[in-house]
Amino acid sequence: MTRSPLYFALRRFADNKAAVVCGVILLTIILMAIFAPLITQTGYEDQDFLTEALAFPSGAHLMGIDDLGRDFFARIVYGARVSLTIGLSAALFSVVIGIPLGAISGYYGGVADWFVMRLIELFSVVPPLLAAMLLGALTGGGFVTIVLIAALFGWVQVCLLVRAQVKAFREKEFVRAAQALGATPGYIIRRHLIPNSVSPIIVGFVLAIPLAMMLEASLSFLGIGVPPPTPSWGQMINVGMNFMYFYWHMAVFPTAALAITVLATTLFGDGLRDALDPTLKGR
Amino acid sequence: MIRYILGRLISVALTFTVVSVIVFLMMHAVPGGPFDGNDMPVNDAVKAKLNASLGLDRPLHIQYFKYMWGVLHFDFGIPFQSPGETVLQLLARAWPPSLILGGSGVLIGAPLGILLGIAAALRRNTWVDYLASALATLGLSVPVFVISMLLLMVFAVLIGWLPASGWDRPYSWILPIAAYAAIPMATYARYTRSAMLDVLNKPFVTVLRAKGISERRIIFQHVLRNAALPMITVFLPMFIGTATGSIFVEAMFRVPGLGAYFVSSINLRDYPLEMALILMITFMFCIAYLISDIVYALVNPRIRVGGRQ
Repeated sequence: MTRSPLYFALRRFADNKAAVVCGVILLTIILMAIFAPLITQTGYEDQDFLTEALAFPSGAHLMGIDDLGRDFFARIVYGARVSLTIGLSAALFSVVIGIPLGAISGYYGGVADWFVMRLIELFSVVPPLLAAMLLGALTGGGFVTIVLIAALFGWVQVCLLVRAQVKAFREKEFVRAAQALGATPGYIIRRHLIPNSVSPIIVGFVLAIPLAMMLEASLSFLGIGVPPPTPSWGQMINVGMNFMYFYWHMAVFPTAALAITVLATTLFGDGLRDALDPTLKGR
Repeated sequence: MIRYILGRLISVALTFTVVSVIVFLMMHAVPGGPFDGNDMPVNDAVKAKLNASLGLDRPLHIQYFKYMWGVLHFDFGIPFQSPGETVLQLLARAWPPSLILGGSGVLIGAPLGILLGIAAALRRNTWVDYLASALATLGLSVPVFVISMLLLMVFAVLIGWLPASGWDRPYSWILPIAAYAAIPMATYARYTRSAMLDVLNKPFVTVLRAKGISERRIIFQHVLRNAALPMITVFLPMFIGTATGSIFVEAMFRVPGLGAYFVSSINLRDYPLEMALILMITFMFCIAYLISDIVYALVNPRIRVGGRQ
């Protein structure tokens, strides 16, 4: 009985205990984000508990109340929505930019490759965070801007992965055969090379998510990211810092939420990469 | 070799020029100028005169060349937030804390990371390896301000041993340096581990073992030397890369360094200072990549003919 490569990839993934655990954690966070209205008693901007502002965690308010009288648990849970949405959409945009550029530079080589590589070099000498801070400050931040900034720096990794894969497959016999049968380069790239690059694309996609989430948190932490009252963990950490000596819950919960989510996504992505492409293991 | 260096030099110079043009255009593409604020309104005639005296009424490309000509003579203009001094003087004042922070962070973090990486590679799949991997993942994937926050919560709030902010006495340097050292440590632990494992799996190591050479000699004389090669390329860019991390560490611990000024220049739209900082960091990155490319070509002759991979 022959088994598909996917079967072996899944088996390799299942052997990686840390990655599986992180996958479960990540799934829980995603479900919490999707069903946020069902598991929280109030909305993220309802100042329902002004008289109890800054109350410590209790049975009624799992994570306490913030300085503006909002249930902190609700804010943390809705914060997951912001973080995950930005992570996922930035990763999607990264893939959308990275695939065509990687495929073109890998397939054609020569001038196209030179051009794309210089473009990548351009992005590698400018630290992403610095550029993001500059762009964020110039545009005034906001949800869409952050997604675009994250994608602007996220596509490089996807592009390099796709380029390497396409370059390796370009010389294979089946591509030669397709060329001999008169297939156009566009057809070969769409029909043969990109489908063969699915695993690096998935890896690039998953690894772009935590990077975007970190970028959003960092920008929001500096006050040029997602504007309040939309809850963002980075922004909440910044506020929490001012209260940390007396009201620890304001600082601890957003920090923990961000750390756990980013770590889980990274380890899940690492596990996925090792499972899909064992040759990359440990890099 | 000279041809290779020249090629890299031209490529780096091109990259730097393009970055400077893009940053310059971006700053000037935003509507509004420095005299549009509401807190101190000026009438149109005065505004026009001010703009003319600063050369802001000239076409953009002229402004760019004028600016870059100044930069070549170390003239970055005057920062809006403290008009009494030049950008260069302000930077000279802000350098020392950042240098102490970054320097000691890397000097403490990098050796620790290398030791961790070696230990993890030699004791593969034991608790040492898992601990090293966990630390490396934590340092690489969690934003540095989260690490700072954890350190603050434990050592400043919970135990109360160390001050949470300030830079006035060396005592208060400990926490920011510890937070800062996490990045080089994590980077080095990961790179060292994978470089060591790469070399350990090479056939020549098996041959050395078959010849009966002691394990210690194999590790120290052969494996470490070969594993050090790829690490050269990481060192300089990483050294400067920590400059980005320093922004957050300095913001968290209220250190009056370059990072703090970068944040304030962004909040205050202080274009001359912002531009100077970005150009400086990009320039250092370019030089770092150039040097590590050249060093790598010197120690690895294959690169000279094959080009950069």
